Amino acid sequence: MNKLHLVSAVAAAVLAGGLTAAQAQEYPVDTVTLVTHSSPGGGSDVFLRELSRYLSPYLGANVIVENVSGGSGAKAMAQLAQAPADGSMFYATTPTFIYTSLLSDPEYKYTDLEPLVNFFIDPEVIYTSAKGQFKTLEDVIQYARDGRGQWGAANPASLERQALEQLKAAAGVNAAVVTHEGGGDMMINVLNGTLQIGVGEVQEIQSQIEAGELRLLATFSDKRLDAFPDLPTVKEAGYDVVVRKFRGLAGPKGLPEDVIAAWEAATQKVLADPKYKEAYEGANLRAEFMPHADYVKFIETFGTETADFLKKTGVIE
Amino acid sequence: MLTRDFVGGVASIAIGTVYLYFAYQLRISALDDSMGPGGLPRVYGWLLVGLGAVLTIQAIVSRRMAMASDATGGRDEWDGQGRKILHAAGLLAIGTGYVLVIETLGYLLSVAVLLLVTTLYLGAGNKGRALAVAVLGAVFLWVMFVIVLGVRMPSGVLASLGL
Amino acid sequence: METLTHTAAFLLDWHVILAALIGVTWGIMGGALPGISPSITMALLLPFTYTLDPTSAIVLLASTYIGAEYGGSVPAILIRTPGTNAAAATVIDGYEMNRQGKAGLALGISLYSGVIGSLFGLAMLMTLSGPLAQVALAFTPMAYFALGILGLSVIATLSGENLVKGMIAAILGLIIATIGSDPVTGGTRFTFGSAELLGGIEPVMIMVGLFAMSELLVQASKRGQDERVTSRPRIQFPDWPLAKRLIPAQMIGNGIGTFEGVMPGAGGTIASFMAYNEARRWSRYPEEFGKGSPEGIAAPETANNTVAETALVPLLSFGIPGSNSTAILLGGFLIHGIVPGPMLFQKSGEVVYGLYAGLFTAAIGQLLIGMAMLPVCIWLVNRPRPYLNAFIFALILSGIYSIHNEAFDLGIMIAAGVLGFFMRMLRFPFLPTVLGLVLGYLVESNFRRSLVLSGDDWMIFVDDRISLGLLILSFLFIGGSIAKRVYDMLRHRPSATFSENAES
Repeated sequence: MNKLHLVSAVAAAVLAGGLTAAQAQEYPVDTVTLVTHSSPGGGSDVFLRELSRYLSPYLGANVIVENVSGGSGAKAMAQLAQAPADGSMFYATTPTFIYTSLLSDPEYKYTDLEPLVNFFIDPEVIYTSAKGQFKTLEDVIQYARDGRGQWGAANPASLERQALEQLKAAAGVNAAVVTHEGGGDMMINVLNGTLQIGVGEVQEIQSQIEAGELRLLATFSDKRLDAFPDLPTVKEAGYDVVVRKFRGLAGPKGLPEDVIAAWEAATQKVLADPKYKEAYEGANLRAEFMPHADYVKFIETFGTETADFLKKTGVIE
Repeated sequence: MLTRDFVGGVASIAIGTVYLYFAYQLRISALDDSMGPGGLPRVYGWLLVGLGAVLTIQAIVSRRMAMASDATGGRDEWDGQGRKILHAAGLLAIGTGYVLVIETLGYLLSVAVLLLVTTLYLGAGNKGRALAVAVLGAVFLWVMFVIVLGVRMPSGVLASLGL
Repeated sequence: METLTHTAAFLLDWHVILAALIGVTWGIMGGALPGISPSITMALLLPFTYTLDPTSAIVLLASTYIGAEYGGSVPAILIRTPGTNAAAATVIDGYEMNRQGKAGLALGISLYSGVIGSLFGLAMLMTLSGPLAQVALAFTPMAYFALGILGLSVIATLSGENLVKGMIAAILGLIIATIGSDPVTGGTRFTFGSAELLGGIEPVMIMVGLFAMSELLVQASKRGQDERVTSRPRIQFPDWPLAKRLIPAQMIGNGIGTFEGVMPGAGGTIASFMAYNEARRWSRYPEEFGKGSPEGIAAPETANNTVAETALVPLLSFGIPGSNSTAILLGGFLIHGIVPGPMLFQKSGEVVYGLYAGLFTAAIGQLLIGMAMLPVCIWLVNRPRPYLNAFIFALILSGIYSIHNEAFDLGIMIAAGVLGFFMRMLRFPFLPTVLGLVLGYLVESNFRRSLVLSGDDWMIFVDDRISLGLLILSFLFIGGSIAKRVYDMLRHRPSATFSENAES
């Protein structure tokens, strides 16, 4: 895909919203570019564009989205690491940027960026076909214990794969973890019974759950989800695996204090905005604001844990 | 002796060998399936070497048979190919030059130069017309890609003019 | 019936009509530019859809997709450059007809076959979405692997006079497809530390190099000693006898396009090549293929336009995008808070009916816009050779650059051109390379995925009924084709094989 210069409809949103909202703080630059490695229309892209519409008035700057796909984020990271640290450009982080850094060993890695704040944690859930025989996570584990389980992960060397490998180890079963080329591909194999379970984000399978085609078995989040209060966590089921698929921002190293402070304030305000809240909760995103200091530590831990996993399984040296 | 098939066969063996060398160096990890990242590439590599050998042998055999029945032929199949390769290499050089200068010279200028040099190289008679076409063509392409489609072509030395 | 009445209501909605016409015009333009893929063309419009109402937004994006899939055939016929991946099969006979001075007819055939494909695909989408969705659901990784093998079996018949050369060409394609990330572990292969190669090589770079760049090099090597027949700048639709002759080819295109379209990941390129091959197999004039057969344009163009419509089946029924283009359409839905999937009709049925109406308008609009635009295109390619070739050179260098904004990609394209130049000189066919390139990833990833599923038990390909059926079919194709070659050789008869690149 293309490094498209997409000046989104944000300009209109800013004109409409920006004039009414009080521009309390002075943000050092007029236009902030949020870079994503996701191609236009992809998950992160839709999320960012939605966010940018609401964020502009709170931040006091134009917010535009730019797609720098290629190399699963390697290119976006390179661009960010060399960008001026004046608050004019940020990168939308997802676990992908850590996986790419570790697996492909690009010139600029996640460690060359400075995490800014976190916005959301996407809940990852385990699901199965509603027509199938499995009612609980334990059924699936038992099936794998008796014979040979087939579990699906959306992408090779992804957070989902790591979660399933950890679940396998925690349960002590031998299941084949089958990787796919995206969530949709995998969903078909769950629906037609090739796989017993798949792991994915709620928003990807929302329509199938409403139609009663898929059944949720457990969530990898640390506590139960508001939207599905009856759904147990994997931890409750007795396997100590927690997955946190984060969505936040990172910038070049050496971000100035006032920029960080402006973002921390604006992020909390935009997450509380009733209209935006309705939009993101409808898309099953869970707001989890992390201030700069916490986010830096979070990314560091996440990176080390992932590196450990990849080293232990021999994917990297 | 060097028929087209013979050259093609030898080239296939060479490409296959180089590819196999790299295919055998791929890392193995615990997340791999039994086939591994190198599994199919090795199959492809060996197939390429094998088929290249078959083609080479075919070429030698059919050449022998042709020699027995007919003494002429053979050489004329390559007649003029050297000159042809040379002419094609000229265009290749123009293309390579474009790739080298586009980031520094900028899209608009480099594409204008490319158009001019290529038309002249391909034998356009009228120099004034070639120049006019190059300028107009470059502006047209620039409007198409940069203005209409919004592709970020490198602006190079014209960056200061806002192009 | 209910669907029809609901849809008909939208045919009078000027928002929908306008969105469809703008979309299809924009799409044809983007599709016709080499390197600007249908998905990029659509992505460029995505920001504007925020301000539109949901129905117009979806119609705009979907019509762009339809237009782009058609637009790719225009440069394929006129300048030997496939504007989209799926147009690669159209290059063969389309460009050949152009060389014979029949560009107007070739463009006419591709336009009207495209419209037939679009309308047929739309009819399938509207009436048989449910059953077709079941077909998509039945395809396991094993079946996808077998489908890829079936696609590769086409090589046996498209290899020209020497099967060994055809297979070598195919393996070159498969080898190029292994560059990038490993489909199972995600590790890197053959990237030599280059970040540009991490995502693999886009097939369109190789196709443009093999077809267009090599043609430029060949023409440069001839130094103007080339006789050229120019076509009259007028688009010409086939007369009745020819139209009648094209019907079987178009039906083949419709059928194959429908099925390939509904399978996520299979896509228009495979459909158009398989349609091309089947049209040749069942044609009464198979010897004309590769030398400017009108059926050789009709079949792939019908197929890839049908795919553009039926590719919406998995998107609307499951919310699963089968390609980059439908992924962007999915984004268009999500932007407006609409989630495609089983609940789509209950929750946002109106949008779907509006979409159907828009797609119908787009198919008709494609015909009108094509008729207005094509004569200008023919006039352009009638300019003197040096100017035309210089402009094609500049156009492909610009188009390929805009895929990733990397000069590196230009190097890949030019290298593919040099490879193509020598392949032509040594009389190797291109088509197997293109097929290997397009199918390599599909075959490898699903092969290995199946073996992971079964714990390395190869019987899984036999146990899966669809896989077994497709594999038997592939072996029959390959066996039949080889048997025919052997038979012809024993009778010392020049085999009536397919040939391309006959000229050196």
